[in-house]
Order: sequence, then C-alpha cells, then structure tokens
Amino acid sequence: MAVSSDLRTSEARDADRDGPLLELEGVSKYFGQGSGLFGGLQFDPDTFPPISVDRERVKAVDDVSLEIQPGETLGLVGESGCGKSTLGRTILRLLEPTDGDIYFRGENLADLSGEKLRQKRSEIQMIFQDPQSSLDPRMKVGQIIEEPMRAHGMGDDEGREARAKELLEKVGLDPRHYNRYPHAFSGGQRQRINLARALSVDPDFVVCDEPVSALDVSIQAQVLNTMERLQDEFGLTYLFIAHDLSVIRHISDRVAVMYLGHIVEVAEKEELFENPQHPYTKALLESIPVPDPRESGARGVLEGEVPSPQNPPSGCRFRTRCPQLIAPEAYELTEEEWAHTRAFMRAVKRRTFEPIAAAEMRREFFDDDLPRGDAGEIVRDAIDAIATDTERGGESADERDGWAEATDHLLEPFAEQSICARERPAYDLEPAYGSGEHFAACHRHR
Amino acid sequence: MSSEPLLRVENLKTQFFTEAGTVRAVDGISFEVYEGEIVGLVGESGAGKSVASMSLLRLVERPGEIVAGEVTYKGETLFGLEDGPNGDLRKRDEMLSNEEIRTRIRGNEIAVIFQDPMESLNPVFTVGGQLREFIELNRGLSEDEARREAIDMLREVGIPDPEQRYEEYPHQFSGGMRQRVLIAMALACEPSLIIADEPTTALDVTVEGQILDLVDDLQKKYGTSFIWVTHDLGVVAEICDRVNVMYLGEIVEQAPVDELFYDTKHPYTQALLESMPRPDRTVADLEPIEGVMPEAINPPSGCRFHPRCPDARAVCKRVHPEPKVVADADGEPHRAACVKHDVFDVGYDESPPLEGAVDGEGSRRTDEPQSELAANPAGDEPGGDGGE
Repeated sequence: MAVSSDLRTSEARDADRDGPLLELEGVSKYFGQGSGLFGGLQFDPDTFPPISVDRERVKAVDDVSLEIQPGETLGLVGESGCGKSTLGRTILRLLEPTDGDIYFRGENLADLSGEKLRQKRSEIQMIFQDPQSSLDPRMKVGQIIEEPMRAHGMGDDEGREARAKELLEKVGLDPRHYNRYPHAFSGGQRQRINLARALSVDPDFVVCDEPVSALDVSIQAQVLNTMERLQDEFGLTYLFIAHDLSVIRHISDRVAVMYLGHIVEVAEKEELFENPQHPYTKALLESIPVPDPRESGARGVLEGEVPSPQNPPSGCRFRTRCPQLIAPEAYELTEEEWAHTRAFMRAVKRRTFEPIAAAEMRREFFDDDLPRGDAGEIVRDAIDAIATDTERGGESADERDGWAEATDHLLEPFAEQSICARERPAYDLEPAYGSGEHFAACHRHR
Repeated sequence: MSSEPLLRVENLKTQFFTEAGTVRAVDGISFEVYEGEIVGLVGESGAGKSVASMSLLRLVERPGEIVAGEVTYKGETLFGLEDGPNGDLRKRDEMLSNEEIRTRIRGNEIAVIFQDPMESLNPVFTVGGQLREFIELNRGLSEDEARREAIDMLREVGIPDPEQRYEEYPHQFSGGMRQRVLIAMALACEPSLIIADEPTTALDVTVEGQILDLVDDLQKKYGTSFIWVTHDLGVVAEICDRVNVMYLGEIVEQAPVDELFYDTKHPYTQALLESMPRPDRTVADLEPIEGVMPEAINPPSGCRFHPRCPDARAVCKRVHPEPKVVADADGEPHRAACVKHDVFDVGYDESPPLEGAVDGEGSRRTDEPQSELAANPAGDEPGGDGGE
C-alpha cells in the first residue's frame, strides 16, 4: 500500500521538535449579546435617547495563556459555562479570537485567514462530544473519513479508500464496514469513526471536546484506550477538554483548570490532583463522588453559583465564592473575625436567612462578638439595616431596600478592598510532585 | 431493618411490544426498600433501571406493559397478577385502581425526581405557582396556605430569597436550582418513598455535591426512603445504603454498599469497577469490558453477561442464574447471579472456559470492536428510555 508511507511515524515527528507545539498568548473570546442587525440595540423609554447600543459582552474566554508541548496531552477541565469549549474552538479558529495570539509551530494562527488557514487545518483537527450529530447520517463511513482528505487534496480515489480502510482498522473497526452508514454503529463506534476522520489528514494536534462524556463507563474505557494507543502510534498531541475529573486524571499529562473564562491553575497531573493550590481546584476535587464507600471525606461544598460572564468579578474571578477570600488590609481583623464577617457578608448578599432581630443575628453569625474597630461599626450598620427590631430595618417601606443597602454596605469596604478584588493573581509555585511548572492564580501564594 | 419492608418488588417484568419484537426491558427483578434507607439501582444505559423504577408507579406507557410480578407498598398492592379461571393472567382484586394510584400514591406516598429538571417544569408557569398547585391538589390546602407552604419548601431546599424566586419562571433558575425545586416538590407532601431517576447526572460536579449533601440532610430530617437510579458508582458509594446492580433487565448483584465495593461477587460489577477512571488515584491502564450490552430484544442464552464476561465458561451459556445468597454481610444477604459461586452447584469448576473469552492481550484489541458490531449494530442507546 503506497499510502502507508503517508502515515508518519512518531520518530519522524520527533525530528521537528523544538519548543512548544502550540502557544496561546492572552487569547480572549467575547461574544456580543443577541444576533442580527438590531441584536445589540436596547430600547429603554426612560432614557434619552431611548435607543442605545448594548456594549455588554460575554467574556467567555478572557486573557488565557497556555503552552502545549509536542506529544503531550493537556487536560482542560472546568464546569459548564467556564469557556473550555470556546477556547478549544478558538484555537482551531472555528471562532475568531477577540484578542491574543495563537502560535502553532511558531506561526500565528490568529493572523491567518482564507486559503492559508484552510491548509493549516490539516494539521489541527477536532473531535466533538456528540458522536451522533457530528456524523452526516446520509454519508457512508468511507465517505465520511475520506472527506477531509479530499478537501485537502490528498491522494487519488484509490489511495483515499485504502487509507480510510487502514484507519478504520487502526481505530478498532472492521474495514469491511467501509460502506455502512453511521446509524448502524453504536455510540462508542461512532466516536471511533470521528477519530478516524480526524486522523485521515494526518494531523499533529487534535482538540478533543468531551469525546467520551456521552458514552457509558465500559465503552468510555474502550475509547480512551484506543485514543491513547493512537497517540503513541501517530505521535499526536491532544488538548483534551472534559468536565469529568476522573477521565482527565486518567488521560492527561498536564492539567489546566478553568473558571469563568480564566485559567486558575496549571500543573502536571499528579501535582494537580495531589497538591492542588487554588481553592477552586480544591473544591472541584472535593466535590467528586469517589467510588469508594469507605471514603467519607468531608466535602467543602461551594457556596452560591457561578457569576455571569457578562460582568465577571474583578481581580480573581473566584473570589465571590472563595472560602479563603483574603481579608482587606485596612482593618486588622483576626482570622476568626474575618471568617465571621465573610460568612455574614455572603449570607446577606445571597439572602440565605430570614430577617431576624439584631441580637439574634449577632449571635448567629458572630457568637455575640462583633469585630473590633471600624469593621465592627460597618457590621453593626449592616445589621441595623435588615434587623426586624431596629428603626431602620423595621419600618423601612420596602424590606428589599434594607437588604440592598446592607449588601452595599458590607461589600464595598470588605470584599472590594481585598487584594483578591483589586489585582488579578498569577503565581508560579514549587511543585511537590514531579518537576514541572505549577501555576496558580491565587493571592494566598503572594 | 427487621421489620416489614416499605416496598417489596417481586419478579417484576416489563416488556415493550414493538414491531421489531418484544423488548424485555425489565425481566424478573425482585428487591426491597426498607424505611429510611437509600437503595441504589445501578446500571449502564439500556439496563432497564429507569423502566423498572417507573413500573413501580405504573407509569409505563404503551407499547410498554408490566406483564408479571407483584409490587407491594405498605401492605397495599400497587401491582399484582394472578391466574384467572381459564389459566390466563388477570389483575388481582386488591390491586389499587388507577384512580387510587393517582390520588393516594403518586406524590403523596411515592414521589419522583427526574433527571432533566427543565423538562419536568412547565416553562410558561412560575416555579412557585407550579409548586403551590401541586401542594394544593395533593394536600387539600387553601391557596394561601399552599403558597406559604411552597415558600417554606423552597427555603428548606436552600433556595435563597424564596419569596422573590417564587414568582420567577423556570428559565430564570440554574440547573442546580431547578433540581432543588423538584426536590422541594417531591418532599412537599412528605412522601415515604422518593424515586430519584438520575437526579444529578445533568449537573456539574460542584452542584452535584451540593445536591447530594442536601438530599443527605433532608433524608435524615424526614426519614424518607429513596430509590436512587444512577449509572455513577461514585454517587452510589457516596449516598446509598444498599445497591442493586442491573444488567440487561436483570438484577445481577444485590448487596450493602460496602460489600458491593469491597467484596464484589458478580463479574459484571467487578468489570464495571475496573473500567472506571478514578478521581482519587491515577490508574495507568483501564480494563474495559469487551463489547457492548446486547439488546433486550434477543438476550444471550444462559447468563446474559457471558459474551462479555472474563470468567465465562461453557456452563454459563446454558444455565440462567437467578440471584442467590452467596455471602452474609452482617446479617444481610449478599446476592449474586453468577454460577461460579458454590451455591449454584451446576458444575462451573469442571466446565471448560469459553473460547475466545480472554485469549491474550494482542487479539483482544482488534477482535473487540468486531464482536461489538456482531452482537449488536446500534447497541449503546436502545430506545432512549431516560438513559444518558
């Protein structure tokens, strides 16, 4: 088979190895609100002029820098809405980056367009989450796998067919199924077809967007094993996007954790799972139900919900939920005082308790021991605004105003003055496991 | 756990009569739920766990039908068949009527929490309104009382600012908050049993953690029993007291949770545990289960797991094992449906290993997907009966 020579071996690739395969520098992707000609227009009869252009944009990916070395698997993990899929698509230039540079082998993909970009795409491929909808139901498996080769003008008809059959075998399918339609295959097998299609143009880099999350556990293991085998055989580099930390732990060499458009921590796998340094990573790891009934580790359940990416918190984006938010320096609070104040501030902001008398509030949140000095004054004021038995709280026309006032009253001096709100953190740490770099975006490491 | 079970299921069979043939989605399962415990129903998609749980409330729609078995709840017969005079099966007299099931049992005695909270809430009514109506109808309260009760329930499940949220529509709630609303709805009539069908599958891990903790707290407070349907063994380990593992319509192993993980008696459970990547330690090599689950339309002879089983022997092709007690777990039975255990006594030890079951690592790789296809052309998602 003449085509086989097209399949470069991993040794051949090692030759062109120097520096990272892919380098992201300050990549951002913002989305406008609404779509269409008048999508961004807002109508508000109370203002003048009544029509305004909506400048609020969803910051799905915000200033992300990453390196991916040839031959490694970088796991990108985060919860839904954190921007991990958007980042994957932006790297492929399926989405136009709003800002930043994407260097692939030293060439900036963000600058490429048209034919040049199209050609580059043979080197970067993608595998999607849903094995059902990513295959055209009216095309035969053979055609599906050959299509990218045809698009990139690789080989003649015969050569393409031979290569397609070879790839079918490589991904663990029967080459005799070349003429079948996708519906005749199970979910796991369809994902194998996706793999074969991605590999058909002999890429160096594959972005895998949740490739196994639609599959059952036992099938998941089959596909993961195949992906690992193919990586060795073809010398591939993976960006493996997933929300499932167990899968990430299995397949990755290094792991990047994303929260609300920012990368919060990057480290080698063992280091990240055994020695996590960002409070979000810790919370994420503690949340996973471990398949071991004797493991009764207490869960540090995260409070609240992910804020809107339209108007993300300043500084560290995790600070509004962080159990270790740093105390503002202006008030010399003891740790206990700060813990109480922090809990009270968040309870007020989220309205997680019902209005009660001032004394009761003091007991419940502060053990009857308000912080000393200015901080205590602020807290006392806030309590007054919502308590049922004070002048302001009790007689306020609308109960809601009291809460809003108290919230402002607390957030402004405490949350907004913390270093977590004023500066965006970025620190390189000494790893406890392995020798790789460990990046954590948390001010506790300052 | 010595008293009468709250719910007893015996030999329940639910079949779907389709054009392609009869799908035996649930094929003779028996289990019990006692007061105050969380019982897991675990399996991969297509194992029949959702159909089984819906059968308990007679919520199976055509072409599906419960064809055999008996479901007893607090001494009342939710479903039961007996032999009629002409030898055919007929419904037993003491079986509750549809009317009684609807007014007395569903919601009041047994509530359900579904996987997808968006589909379970009506998008054109406010969240509070739906909850209020549910309470009004099921508990016979006045509108005002029901409203107060609804707000209390929302607060109970940890929804901040419940008066405000009461007026909002489902799309204004996040996934986790919607699931909390459904839990509030399920708990509103203080049922004795809640069937939770993959309630955390669609949620992010941190939200899943919040919901699991919430259920744990509420369960302690109200003493409600749960049937927890899931495919996630992590969730099982975390929350369940006893577990039923299902494979292709049957329960293959039944044990208290600790024994299930530490003294696994069925090769399928074992294989499932070994094929999982772990969050708590790095597993160098995953051991996948070969092939895919066959369709329930034409299940394999003998033990249904034998084509994929690493321990399969010739006898497994012939003998169909019913779950039997194979070990004693602190006074509780540990059942498994595998003939390799001595109690079955069908000559497993003398039986020759099945050919091609496990013959070397090398051939496995290329053989596996073929057998996968031969067994079943589109195996992963038969019917989509509320699986993933």
